Amino acid sequence: MSKTLFEKIWDSHIVVEKENGPSLLYIDRHLVHEVTSPQAFEGLRMNKRKVRRPDLTIATMDHNVPTNDRSLPIIDQTSSIQIKTLEKNCQDFGINLFDIDSPYQGIVHVIGPQLGITLPGTTIVCGDSHTSTQGAFGALAFGIGTSEVEHVFVTQALWLEKLKPFEIRVEGKRKNPFAVTAKDIILSIIKKIGTAGGTGTVIEYTGEGITDLSMEQRMTICNMSVEAGARAGLIAPDEKTFDYLRGRKYTPENFDELVSVWKKDLYTDPNAKFEKSFTLKIDDIVPQVSWGTNPGMTSDVTDTVPDPKEFAKGDLAQQKSAEKALQYMDLKAGIPITEIQIDRVFIGSCTNARLEDLIDASRVVKGKKVSEKVSAMVVPGSQMVKKQAEKIGLDKIFKDANFEWRESGCSMCLGMNPDILSPGERCASTSNRNFEGRQGVGGRTHLVSPVMAAAAAIAGRFVDVREMDLN
Amino acid sequence: MKGNVIKYERDNIDTDVILPGTYLKLHDYDELASHAMEGIDPEFHAKVKDGDFIVSGKNFGCGSSREHAPIALSHSGIKAVLALSFARIFYRNSVDGAFLLPIEIDEEAYKNIANGDELNISVETNEIKNVTKNQTYQMKPFSEIIGKIIAAGGLFKFKP
Repeated sequence: MSKTLFEKIWDSHIVVEKENGPSLLYIDRHLVHEVTSPQAFEGLRMNKRKVRRPDLTIATMDHNVPTNDRSLPIIDQTSSIQIKTLEKNCQDFGINLFDIDSPYQGIVHVIGPQLGITLPGTTIVCGDSHTSTQGAFGALAFGIGTSEVEHVFVTQALWLEKLKPFEIRVEGKRKNPFAVTAKDIILSIIKKIGTAGGTGTVIEYTGEGITDLSMEQRMTICNMSVEAGARAGLIAPDEKTFDYLRGRKYTPENFDELVSVWKKDLYTDPNAKFEKSFTLKIDDIVPQVSWGTNPGMTSDVTDTVPDPKEFAKGDLAQQKSAEKALQYMDLKAGIPITEIQIDRVFIGSCTNARLEDLIDASRVVKGKKVSEKVSAMVVPGSQMVKKQAEKIGLDKIFKDANFEWRESGCSMCLGMNPDILSPGERCASTSNRNFEGRQGVGGRTHLVSPVMAAAAAIAGRFVDVREMDLN
Repeated sequence: MKGNVIKYERDNIDTDVILPGTYLKLHDYDELASHAMEGIDPEFHAKVKDGDFIVSGKNFGCGSSREHAPIALSHSGIKAVLALSFARIFYRNSVDGAFLLPIEIDEEAYKNIANGDELNISVETNEIKNVTKNQTYQMKPFSEIIGKIIAAGGLFKFKP
């Protein structure tokens, strides 16, 4: 029987299957961070249980960690406690932890692939919705809550209702790959299918527009699958996937053997049926800027802030949401996106803080200065990204332009550490969510690609990067 | 299950407004509850009563996987959220920890239920009685696994 890639991975991990009911699915890798794990560890203690497979469990601290000088003590006591709690929990339960001083510390979805922990055909869970990032490697990777974290600790398995395969095909190769980025592709997709367009599904991204992307760019696509309501995103592994994983810290020794197995298995059969499908053409995609309070509220940079009535196309609830969003964002319908002035720039997060993101942004920044009205920061996704970037001099380019160059963590993506917006501040952000208050109470977030954020930092407002002179 | 409605007539109520990220460092459930819905309704904590229901639009609970979101609502006294649809992680989190019932309703129920209405919900018959308006609506029945997890009182008590 013909199967989609999702169905192949799902079926190969079933421990118990109930007819028309849920399946108990085996979990190959469990990633853990400090925010969604404490209650799960507490549950283990209360019930005198152990972690069944500490060898398949890996932890780091990313959400809370300060991104300034790591030799200084952590001022926020509640953050400090949460970080220390993870250290103790990992020690007590025998889990491999990349702590705040580790050269491998970083955002959990950035370090998983960098360490070769994320492998094609595996099931990966983490108490974090952006676990979907790792689907870029052809893994079924999805976020879970704390009760499920505890369940995986104890059983290395999860009861799940079967998800539905959803194909999103991107046709054509990018003509301007520097300006039209993976971020613009995924924002365009969410704009079209909506924030609940993928509910109950696993999206498989296909087509030349996807295979043409590097692994890091593919991660940006899969990362935001959850913003379209999907549980996970998937991209079939190919030579780029295997090349990326070869020789990393935890890449299995029999890697070449595994590659030949993956090549035979890990793709959607030609006649397999998707539950849903959606196609878009790469030539229709230009740089994107979000103007509202969910990632579906996004416009082409060449456009204006939409009129809520036109945006809603007759959907009254949608119209109301858009009106409220404009009010919160302090924007008026009809103003050109390129006239929106910004106060802050954040280049970071599991969406866009990998080495290629920083290289691309640095090309925009090189030899220029951040606008005097703007304060801008770069927060590398991991210590490994930071070191690699410093090796090729990116830190100097950013610092010379008056960007702050920080230590790795989730930082201003979700405002758990001191990196937050002040009320009313407007930020060009390479992160994934423009929800009200996400980056700080009253903060206003515009989601953009790293090159668009860098260009906005220089100009003090949004600009179409396609028009920038990069020499 | 009887209670009164707090209605948010909007779609995409995300977990960052249900419980802003800065409070994810808190471990005390009552303290978490004191910040529930703070992102869009700073009055929520003062007005919510034990047994109340939230009624809202599409894609309720979208965003982060933080189980703190249903915990904060549950410890505020919310027994069920009635919405046109739910984001999947929030939905599972709500029942896995036996925090609250995520109930899917149709457009008619959503339109008719007003802020302050008294509802009587029966999961056994999948009926929602609007006591204030003397109307009855159907809720979407829970799937097999969700129904069983709810009946068991959470994921760890669930036996397939």
